[in-house]
Amino acid sequence: MNEVVAFWILSIIAIFGALVAVRKRNLIHGVFALLVFFAGLSGLFLLLLAEFIAAVQVLVYIGAVGILLLFAIMLTERVTGDDDRRVTSRGWFWGLVVTAAVFVVLLLPAIQQLPPPKAAQTIDPSVKELGHKLMNPYVVTLEVLALLLTAALIGAVTAAQGVRMPKEEDSPE
Amino acid sequence: MTLHHYLILAALLFCVGLMGAFTRRNAIVVLFSVEIMLNAANLNFIAFWRYSENPALLHGPLFTLFAIAVAAAEVAVGLALVIAVYRHFKTVDLESMDTLREE
Repeated sequence: MNEVVAFWILSIIAIFGALVAVRKRNLIHGVFALLVFFAGLSGLFLLLLAEFIAAVQVLVYIGAVGILLLFAIMLTERVTGDDDRRVTSRGWFWGLVVTAAVFVVLLLPAIQQLPPPKAAQTIDPSVKELGHKLMNPYVVTLEVLALLLTAALIGAVTAAQGVRMPKEEDSPE
Repeated sequence: MTLHHYLILAALLFCVGLMGAFTRRNAIVVLFSVEIMLNAANLNFIAFWRYSENPALLHGPLFTLFAIAVAAAEVAVGLALVIAVYRHFKTVDLESMDTLREE
C-alpha cells in the first residue's frame, strides 16, 4: 500500500519536473525543475530497491550535471531567456506528432495483456557485490569507461577553450 | 506495483524528453531533454532488473551505472560544444545556426 502511494507521488513529481524543465522559458527555473525530476527518479530507484543507483543519481545528476548546466547557462548570454523571441522551433507541430506516435508505439506492448512478471520479494543488492562484479567480469568495461571519461574531460576542455591562434607578440619561452 | 506501471511511466518521461528535443530552439534545453530521455531509459533498466528472474546477477544496476557514466561524459562534452558554438554564433538558438543550409 505504502509502495503504491510512494510510486504515484514520485511519478507525479518526476513527470511534473520533466514537463516544467522542457517548457519553461526561464532556463534557470528549467534547471531547477530538472533537478526535481532527477530527485523524483532517484526516489523511484529507491522504490525499486536499487539504493546504490539512487545515491549515484543524486551525486552525479543533482550534484554534477545540474551545476554544470547552471554554469553553461550563465556562461552563455540571455541567462533568463525570457525575451520576446519564440521559444518553440519552427517544426514544433511535427515534433509533437512524432512524439505522440512514438508514445503510442512504446505503449503497444502494454496494450497486449502480457502477464506481469512477479517481483522478487527480497533482493540483496549489496554494494559489495556490485563492486565484486565490477572487478571480476566487467573490469574491461570499467577501464574503457575510465578512458572515455578522461577523453571526454580533455575533449570538453579543448572544445570550450576554442581555437587559439598563435600570436607573434607572445613572448617565447 | 507491476512492471507495467514503471514501463508506462518511463515511456511517458521519454516522450516528454522527446517533445522537448523536438520543439525547443535553445540548445541547452535540448541537452536537458536528452538527459531526461537517458534517465527514462535507466528507469526501464532498473524496473526490468527488479522484475527479472534472477536479480542477484545485478545486470540492471551495472548497466545503469555505465549509462550514467556515459551520460555524464555526454553532458560535459555537449555543454562544451554549446559554449564553443555560442562563441562562434553569439547565440545558442538552434535555428539561427544554419550555415550548412543551402538557400
